[in-house]
Amino acid sequence: MANRFSLKPAKGFCSLLTRGVTIAKKDARVYYLKPQIFGFGILIPAFVYLSFSLGREVPLDLLIPGLVGMVSLFGASSVEAISIPIEKQTETYELLQTAPISTATIVFGKGLAGSAFGIILSLLTATVAVALSGAQVGSPFLFVIAVIVGAFAFSAFGMAVASAVKDMPTANMSLTALRLPMIFISGVFTPIQALPLPLRVISYLTPLTYLVDALQEALISPGIAFWLDLIAMVIWLIALQALAVVVLNKKTQL
Amino acid sequence: MENAIEVANLTKQYGDVTAVDGMSFTVTAGEFFGLLGPNGAGKTTTIRMLTGLTRPTSGSAKITGRDCVKEPVAVKQRIGVVSEVSNLYNEMSAWDNLMFIGELYGVGKQTRTDRVKQLLEAFQLYERRHDRLAGYSKGMKRRVRIAAALIHHPDVLFLDEPTSGLDVQSSRMIRSLVRQLNKDGMTIFLTTHYIDEADQFCERVAIMKQGRIVAEGPPEKLKATLQGEHVVEVAFVGDCSGLEELLRADQTVNEVTKQADKYHIHTTNPGGVIREIVQFATANRLEIMSVNTGRPSLEDVFMKYTGLNAVQVERMEQLRAVKAGRQHG
Repeated sequence: MANRFSLKPAKGFCSLLTRGVTIAKKDARVYYLKPQIFGFGILIPAFVYLSFSLGREVPLDLLIPGLVGMVSLFGASSVEAISIPIEKQTETYELLQTAPISTATIVFGKGLAGSAFGIILSLLTATVAVALSGAQVGSPFLFVIAVIVGAFAFSAFGMAVASAVKDMPTANMSLTALRLPMIFISGVFTPIQALPLPLRVISYLTPLTYLVDALQEALISPGIAFWLDLIAMVIWLIALQALAVVVLNKKTQL
Repeated sequence: MENAIEVANLTKQYGDVTAVDGMSFTVTAGEFFGLLGPNGAGKTTTIRMLTGLTRPTSGSAKITGRDCVKEPVAVKQRIGVVSEVSNLYNEMSAWDNLMFIGELYGVGKQTRTDRVKQLLEAFQLYERRHDRLAGYSKGMKRRVRIAAALIHHPDVLFLDEPTSGLDVQSSRMIRSLVRQLNKDGMTIFLTTHYIDEADQFCERVAIMKQGRIVAEGPPEKLKATLQGEHVVEVAFVGDCSGLEELLRADQTVNEVTKQADKYHIHTTNPGGVIREIVQFATANRLEIMSVNTGRPSLEDVFMKYTGLNAVQVERMEQLRAVKAGRQHG
């Protein structure tokens, strides 16, 4: 009962990468233009930022990392908040489940689509902010690296939350409920050193803190703290992607 | 002959509820196999376990010799799955949907392009290949869904209610294509509420009730289990109240049901029953429109083993069609 034509084997890292990219390309086509992405991924962070920064004297080394970090958080996590519940609702998730790929590949592919969206938005925001303010970026290369790793961590964050809930409104509400407090304790508007001790401790438990700090480092002069921030974001990324795989398996393989 | 599907003591429990209870059966390679049963019998759970969507609580299931739990990716590479819902991306065209699925299955680009063209032509969708699925009719979407399940040329095709809620033309086309696939050597595993469909196509059927297989075999063999039973079908012009009570009093009559304007009488003595009907019609000055006698159908077998009567079966099919219409509309 051999197949009439040969299929590329669906094993290992190569499969994770190639089939993941296939899913990411499809997600970009299907979900990037959904109005909810515009609302939750672009409008909300823009309004929040303007509400809290207009009329305040914010130094450039705080303004640009905070703004870019927030755009990355909302942008990268919004795609999954839309795509996972829609796919579960329309049962297209079952289409992916019956394909010869693992749940890790689905999570990786969907995460890639969210990350790419977050990276594009963040880099556009950074370019405009730098051009308008005339700020100097100490290491543009490391700035971009931090944006990429941060976007991957935030898309995994969006995936873990969206995997656990039933529908799109719940996914967006849950994510907003987590993202809003996160931006107030992660150095976006106020330096972490200025926060009371309990909030300072909590701030180190959010991935946004590490992205904002890494971007500040890249903006001035990256040192060891930049690499520690990067490691912290990678740990968050791996932990949240693993959590998303476990939750999706638990919720969908009933 | 080689087995395409081997299921042994397959069980699925949800808390205290046993959805599938120690099910065992085999399907040989190239066979057209049907799984029948009323709602809640465990058909969907069975198909979900065989296609890797649900983990069994215990027991084993193998597809072309590969274990569904231990080697899920290898199993999925060899099966095609058509779920009851046409779950494709409405935002994309038929062409792009099929190309995406082909890429997901690891079909090389040139082969994929040729295969997608071939499938869309076979399903009479090539002319509209670049239209978004959102503008397709229910029947067209189902055809694309079946084409998507065939993109990698699977050894075994699982079809869950493939013609449910479709118009006659689409149903006919799908049946004809599926029959051709089976003739070409593909193993077909069908679940359906349309018992006539199973009777017409399946070489072997299994009837499920409350998570267990209660009857299994070729349709003709199952019909033969209702030994000595005949069906008399009669239609009258005018009011024939009292006939049902009269027939029920007859020791040779096993069941009387009314479907539309006809009475279906299951009896071991068709001649005696016809005489009784004629006497009743004469005494009540009723005109008999038609009388037919026949052997029991697969529906009769289904009714016997599931405990459902013909009216319930008919209602079940109607509800199914309405439900499918809502889902796909």
